[in-house]
Amino acid sequence: MTLKKTTRTRFTRFLSKNFRDDYTTLQIYSRDMSDLPKVVKLFVGNLPDGVIQVRNTEDMQKIYEIANETRVPITQRGGGTAGFGGCVPYKKGVVVDTKGLESHFLVDPLELTVTTSPSIVFSDLQRQLNLEGFSLCSYPSSFHSATVGGWIAHGGYGIGSIQYGGANEQIAALEVVLPNGEIKRYTEFDDISLFVGSHGTLGTITEVVLKIKFNIPLKHQGCTFDSPSEMLKGLEQLSKINPFSIWFLNPDHVTSFNEVFGYNLPRSYVAIISKEVSFEEEEKEFNNLFNSAIRASGGQILDRRYIKDIWDFRFKGFSLLGECTDYLVTEVILPVETSERFFRKIISKFKGELHLEGEMISPTHYSLLIYLLFEEKLSEIKKTILNLKLYKITTKKSRAKGFPYSTGLWFSGYYSSIYGKEQYKRYQEFKRKVDPKNISNPGKVISPRIRFFPLVRLKAIVKIASRLIIWK
Amino acid sequence: MSSSTDWHVDLLEIAQKCVYCGYCSLCPTFKELKWETYQPRGILEQIRMYFSESVKEEKKVKVSKTLFEAIFACTMCKACENICLVDLPLLKVWEQVRQEAFKKGRWSPLLLSLYNKVKTTQNIYGLPAEERLAWAGLAGLNMSKRTMKKASIAYFVGCQASYSGKMGNVAPSVVKILRKTRVNFTILGLDEWCCGSPVFLAGGYSVGKTFAKHNLDKLKELGVKRIVTACSGCYRAFKIGYPRVLGDKWDIEVLHITELADELIKKGKLKLKHAIKEKITFKDPCELVRHCGLVEAPREVIKQIPNVRFEELPSNKHDALCCGGGGLLKLNDSDLVSQVNSHLISEIEYSEAEIVANGCPTCKDTILAGVKKNGLNVEVLDISELIVRAMEGKQ
Repeated sequence: MTLKKTTRTRFTRFLSKNFRDDYTTLQIYSRDMSDLPKVVKLFVGNLPDGVIQVRNTEDMQKIYEIANETRVPITQRGGGTAGFGGCVPYKKGVVVDTKGLESHFLVDPLELTVTTSPSIVFSDLQRQLNLEGFSLCSYPSSFHSATVGGWIAHGGYGIGSIQYGGANEQIAALEVVLPNGEIKRYTEFDDISLFVGSHGTLGTITEVVLKIKFNIPLKHQGCTFDSPSEMLKGLEQLSKINPFSIWFLNPDHVTSFNEVFGYNLPRSYVAIISKEVSFEEEEKEFNNLFNSAIRASGGQILDRRYIKDIWDFRFKGFSLLGECTDYLVTEVILPVETSERFFRKIISKFKGELHLEGEMISPTHYSLLIYLLFEEKLSEIKKTILNLKLYKITTKKSRAKGFPYSTGLWFSGYYSSIYGKEQYKRYQEFKRKVDPKNISNPGKVISPRIRFFPLVRLKAIVKIASRLIIWK
Repeated sequence: MSSSTDWHVDLLEIAQKCVYCGYCSLCPTFKELKWETYQPRGILEQIRMYFSESVKEEKKVKVSKTLFEAIFACTMCKACENICLVDLPLLKVWEQVRQEAFKKGRWSPLLLSLYNKVKTTQNIYGLPAEERLAWAGLAGLNMSKRTMKKASIAYFVGCQASYSGKMGNVAPSVVKILRKTRVNFTILGLDEWCCGSPVFLAGGYSVGKTFAKHNLDKLKELGVKRIVTACSGCYRAFKIGYPRVLGDKWDIEVLHITELADELIKKGKLKLKHAIKEKITFKDPCELVRHCGLVEAPREVIKQIPNVRFEELPSNKHDALCCGGGGLLKLNDSDLVSQVNSHLISEIEYSEAEIVANGCPTCKDTILAGVKKNGLNVEVLDISELIVRAMEGKQ
C-alpha cells in the first residue's frame, strides 16, 4: 500500500512536521532490533508509507479517525528495541512513534504509584523515582532503551518479576485510545490484561500508572552449579526464599565474564540471587536461607568478590554480540519443573557458542534469552534456516511446555499459548468490537495471511518450514 | 608522525557492527527531537545506506540530507560511545561524517564562517591576534614578563578566555593561582593560536594539524614540559587531538587547572583558607569527564574549601548531563541547545546549589543562559574563579 495523495494530505495537514515520509525515515522505521531476512521481506510490507510522532491523545484519536476512514494500517512503536517484530509494519501503512508523547511524571506516595508517559525509557524513569526515594518494582534487561509502553505491549517481564510480577501485576491504570477513537481509562486487572502483550492491536496506550515501591537496598548472593539439572533444582529452592531476582547464566556466558574481567570462574552455571534487605537481621536471615537452599540443591557458593561485577553486567548481555561476526537472539519462557529436557536439547543441537541468560519471572517460570554466536558471516539462507530452528525449539510442544516471550510478528498465532484460551477469546471479542477494520497493528497477535497467498497464514508457513528443517 | 589512517575508521564496518540495542537513546539530541534519524543507531543505519555500494546514488543523496542534518545536531557529548554495548568508536565516526559533509559542500554557512575565521585569524571569533592579551589589560595584570618566556609550565589561555567578555575572569583567576603558588609559568601571548578544537570537532584533522604544529613549535621554543588550561575544549584537543595528528612529537604533559590545583594543594603550596558559605555543585564538562576521563581532580579541590557544602548533581561524573553547547551545536541550532540545557538546569535547581562550578567556558556560557532564562538565583563560576575565591576570599 502506498498512501493516497488525499490521505497523505490529511496526515500532513493535521500533523505538519510530525508526519514524515522521506526515504531515510521510512527505512529506519522498517525494522526493530532484528532486521527481517531478505526472503521474508518479499512477503511482508515492513516498509511504512509514513511515520508519525504522536504528541497527545487528541493526535491519536485523529490518527485513528483518518486510518479508519482510509483503511490505512497503523503500527505503534516505542523504543524499537525488541526483536519480535511487534513494532514492524506488516501491511505497510503508518508507523506511530510514541516517543513524541508529552512526558509527565507524578508520584503518588500514598498509593505508591507513578503516572507517566508510555514513551519514557525505564532508566530515565528509575532515575527520577530514585531521586524521590522510590523504585520500579520490575524492569526489563533492556532497561536503558526499552520504553514503558513498548514493554507493556510486549507483555513484559524482567528483573524483579519473581517478587512483583510482570507488567500485568504492575499496572495500576492505563489510558488508552481505542482504534474506534474512544479514550478509555482502565483500572481493573481484567481490562488492563487485554492490553498487556497485545502489541497495540487493541489500541494505543497514552498514559500509564505504574505501581512503585520504596527504594530498598538489594543484597546479592551468588552460587554455581555443575549441570542444568542441578541448577534447575537450585532455582526451585532459591525461589522459596522470596528473592527480588534470580538471574542465571550458562558456562559459555561465564567464560565471557572471565575474558571481560580477567576472572577465573569455573565453567559452570552461575546464579545471582538478590533480595531486598532493610535490616541487619533480614540480611542474616537471607544468608541463612540462601545457604540452606544451596545445600539442598547441591550447588556451591560463589566467591563474593565476583558478585557485584556480574550483577552490574545484567544490562550488558548484548555486549557479547560485539565479539562475534554474526548472531541470532531469541527469548522464551519456560517452567522450571519441566525444562531440563529443553536445556539439554538446545545445548546438544546448536554447535558453536551458545549463551543463555535466564531470569526467574515467577516462582515456577523463567525467561531465557538465547544468544547464538557465529565466527563467520551467515548467508541469508543459513540465517533463515537457523531462525527456523530457533522458532521450532521455541514453539514445538515438547515436554518443556515453554512458550515464546511475546507474540509480535514472528510468534503471531501463539497468543493463546502464552495467555491461555480464555484470554484469547476475550481478546478476540474486544478486537472485533473496537477495531472491526483491523487497522491497529495488523499482523501481530493474530497470525496474518501471507501476501500473494491469502489463503495461508504466516504461522502455518513458518511452522511447516521450521518442521522441515533437519537437525544436523 | 601519525598518518591520517591512524585516526580514520572504516565507517561502513563500524555501522555494520551496531547491534541495534538502542542504548544510545540517552543521546540528548535524540531525547529532544525524538525521530530515530537522530538516534545514534539510526545515524549508523544511515551511514550503512550512504556508504553501501548496493544503494543507488539518488537514494544516497536522499540519505545524505537527513544524515548530515543529524550529524550536526550532535553535541559530541560522547554519552552514546560510553554506553555502547559493543564499544563502537562513535565520536570518530561522527567527526568523519562531518568531514564527509564538508567534502560534499554541505556545511552550514555559519559553520563554514567559523571554520574560515579560525583558519585565517587563528581564533574562533575572527578577531585580530593583537587583542589576544586584552583580558590581561582589562584585569590590570601585566603579563609582559610571563609572555613567551622560558618556563617548564605554560598556561594555554584559549580563545574564549582570551576574547570573550563573559569569560573575562577565567584567565586572571588562573594567573592568580599560578602567581600565588609561585609557579614559574609562561603564556604564548599573541603567538597563541586556537587549539584547533572546533576544527577537530568538525572532523578537520588535516587543518587541525596546522594549529597543533604551530602551538607545539612555540611551546618547544620555550622548553615547556607541561601545559595547563582551564578550558575543557583545549584540554580535549591537547589530550586527544594533538597526539592523533602529531604522534610522538606531542610529548607535553597536559593538565586541567583542577589537576594542577589538586597537585599544588597536596604539596602544600596552594591553601584554600576562606570558607564559602554557599552550597556548591559541580557540572562535569563532557569533554573532561567522558572524553578524557577527568573525574576526581575538581572534587578533590572543592573538598579542600573550608566548611564546604558540596552536593553532586543527580547526574554526575560519567553520567553527567550535557549542557547542550558542545559539538558546535550553538552554530547550528540554538533552540536545540536551550532544550537540551533545560534538563541540566532542572538538575541544578533540584540540587538547591547556590554556586555551580564547572571547568569549561562553553558549559559556563550555556548554563548562564539557562539560569537567566529560568530566573534561578545561582552563581555560575569557572572552577578557577571558585579556587581564587577560596584562596583570597570574596572580593
